[in-house]
Amino acid sequence: MPAVEAIKPDKILKELGELWTNIGKPESSDEESQDGGVLRACAMTLISFVDDEEDAAALSETLAVLMKEHPSRAVVVRVKEGEDALSARVFAQCWMPFGHRRQICCEQVEITASMDRLADVAAIVAPLAVPDLPRVILLRSARVVRAGAIRKILPLGDKIVVDSARPGAPGFGELGGLLDAGHIAGDLAWTRITETRSLLAQILEGRKAANITVEYDGKEAGPETRYLHAWLESCLPDTRVALKGSGTAACGKPRTIRVDSDLTIQLTRGCAEIERGDVHQWANLPVGTDEELLNAELNIVVHDHIFERVLNQITA
Amino acid sequence: MSQETPLQDPLRFHRKAPPCAVVIYGANGDLTKRKLMPALYRLAYEGRLAPGFAVVGVSRTAMTNDEFRDRMKESVKKFLEDSPFDEDLWHSFAQGLSYVAGDVGDPASFGEVAKHLAVVEQAHKTEDNVLFYLSTQPSQYAEIAEGLAAAGLNKGKGWRRIVIEKPFGHDLESARALQARLQKCFNENEIYRIDHYLGKETVQNIMAFRFGNGIFEPLWNRTYIDHVQITAAESIGVEGRGAYYQEAGALRDMIQNHLLQVMATVAMEPASSFTSDAVRDERAKLLRAIRIMRPDQVADNAVAGQYGPGRSGSERVVGFRQEKGVSPDSQTDTYAAVTFLVDNWRWAGVPFYIRTGKALPKRVSEIAIQFRVAPLAMFRKATAGAETVPNMLILRIQPEEGISLKFVSKRPGSGMQLRPVSMDFNYGSSFGERSPSAYETLLLDAISGDATLYTRQDMVEASWTAVQPIMDYWTTQKFNFPNYEAGTWGPKEADEMLARWGHTWRKP
Repeated sequence: MPAVEAIKPDKILKELGELWTNIGKPESSDEESQDGGVLRACAMTLISFVDDEEDAAALSETLAVLMKEHPSRAVVVRVKEGEDALSARVFAQCWMPFGHRRQICCEQVEITASMDRLADVAAIVAPLAVPDLPRVILLRSARVVRAGAIRKILPLGDKIVVDSARPGAPGFGELGGLLDAGHIAGDLAWTRITETRSLLAQILEGRKAANITVEYDGKEAGPETRYLHAWLESCLPDTRVALKGSGTAACGKPRTIRVDSDLTIQLTRGCAEIERGDVHQWANLPVGTDEELLNAELNIVVHDHIFERVLNQITA
Repeated sequence: MSQETPLQDPLRFHRKAPPCAVVIYGANGDLTKRKLMPALYRLAYEGRLAPGFAVVGVSRTAMTNDEFRDRMKESVKKFLEDSPFDEDLWHSFAQGLSYVAGDVGDPASFGEVAKHLAVVEQAHKTEDNVLFYLSTQPSQYAEIAEGLAAAGLNKGKGWRRIVIEKPFGHDLESARALQARLQKCFNENEIYRIDHYLGKETVQNIMAFRFGNGIFEPLWNRTYIDHVQITAAESIGVEGRGAYYQEAGALRDMIQNHLLQVMATVAMEPASSFTSDAVRDERAKLLRAIRIMRPDQVADNAVAGQYGPGRSGSERVVGFRQEKGVSPDSQTDTYAAVTFLVDNWRWAGVPFYIRTGKALPKRVSEIAIQFRVAPLAMFRKATAGAETVPNMLILRIQPEEGISLKFVSKRPGSGMQLRPVSMDFNYGSSFGERSPSAYETLLLDAISGDATLYTRQDMVEASWTAVQPIMDYWTTQKFNFPNYEAGTWGPKEADEMLARWGHTWRKP
């Protein structure tokens, strides 16, 4: 088996420097080109762990969308099964905002590593983080979650973001473990119900509800439904909050919230229909794309005490 | 909405409007079509409006509810900026729209609105909260407020608020007269005087920049700042609005309200908290600290201009007096530049130059803060004086919102050669998400009861007091207009005004 070439963080940082020197050079000598140039933007280090099979284009698209709101040094670690492998490359993602003359560019480092080299990855990634700015780990790789090396990887981030609704993703148990270890954690399944919670907060404000039932599609409540149920229980200790599944084969997402006998909130994609006696109302309920949910999660690099309280209630 | 309730999540929830009905007087007018309705639709799109939300349009034109909805739909489709139009969303949003035809001169029309609001409250559960938005001629503000009060619409089980747009009077006396009539009908905390400049993201960002960072405030005073230039330039002329503009002029239309508010934001003391009255108290204090000119000081400190024919880019532009509806010997100022001084410890002796004009070379609004030069020119011999270039902080409001810091840097190579460079922060590139329009921000604020970005009567009076001597003096003058060519940076007298202080206008 050929030996894998060593990867030195200093070399990667040097390549990044050269990259900026090159893309900063005007393409032509005309005045307009020199006026434009590129703007280097960085507000955080975003470290993504993905399984190698994940669609490269999808991840790249996600990062491109994230860059606009959260310009970052993106470090993408592709984790693959099989033989000893470790390689790295650097490149930049640029876009030209509409009506502007100057491109905005964010740097990206892509590291491909086999499972047995995950321990090395931590030593490579740590020096690549931009000093003084938040470091966020986006954990999409089910392999990494299962691997022992995760203990070395987690301390690289100020915050670890997962999506417990994804197949193979860390579940409530692992998330609880992160909290116990003192990490800041985020779960896109929780972010996904923000608008629903916000609407409920508005509708239920000042109301003393005796019974609330969260109905969901499917036989088992999915993470979003369980979060919603636990949140209502934790916020309204005097209210009996029940869960009720439809029993059909579905993904367990919340569908209807019934409050006592006079208020029903029907959640359909993108909207909520509210029935209070004979008054029928409607509210827009924006459905966040994964990128929008991530954007929201990247805005919060502090302990989210409400999320932590709800998660603790679920895992207790 | 209280943040104390157990279901609230201030870290994550966007602010939502409480249930209410928005009654728009002048619902068939331009402002409603171009700004208000697109802003309300966008708030609905973002899920910011409560389920119990309704809009009632009022104007003289006879229209059914459906006709009103159709007109508003066309307007939203046409004027919605940076947003998609969603047919399903519109369908739901439009359920809350209704219309009442009525002439504000007819007292019975207010009774009709009252009856209609009772029906709206039943159908939409607006909790009897009502925001009256007067998108009408300013001369009708007091009459409408009195009509609302006579019909009992100024009080209810829920809250009542009234929004009016500038101008708030045409001078100090008329501003006070308007207030005297308004306050008989509504309390001061129910009157929302909109200044859409304060709703702009970058104007709000001035406060974040000054008071959210620790490094700038220590420099923000007469010891380090040489002078401040505030520019609001339009590249277009009055373009068909000559008849309206002839009555207003640049000083009244821009400086008395928008630009003095911007100046107050730049120069005010830090508020003790970011609450409506704490912030407005500081703005008001600053406006009251502006030195009032004596009549004999006006000529040296204020310049009026009016554009003549010229060019805007490659296009020929007619002079103001050749515009439709403008008198051929009009004395209206299409350009105004004023030197203001602030009599407080922080700013004593620091001139604030404010200029605004039509038909200038480009559309730009910015604040340029020029710092004092370094006390010792130690690199003079090697750099032909480059190190004497003063540091400058530019806060750009439009078009490309952002902040630039100009400083000198060593040129690469042997020797000590310096050259000025710019460090740029671009608002649009660092925050890629869409910024809400000023009207979205301000409407949501008014519905939520947050008056921080609205002007209070004492601020209105203080800013009229600051410009009143200039207006009084100018009415006694016969200007030799036009005194600047369209497409240039204004009359030479404005340059001379700064030259007396040893300064020059920045060319943005």
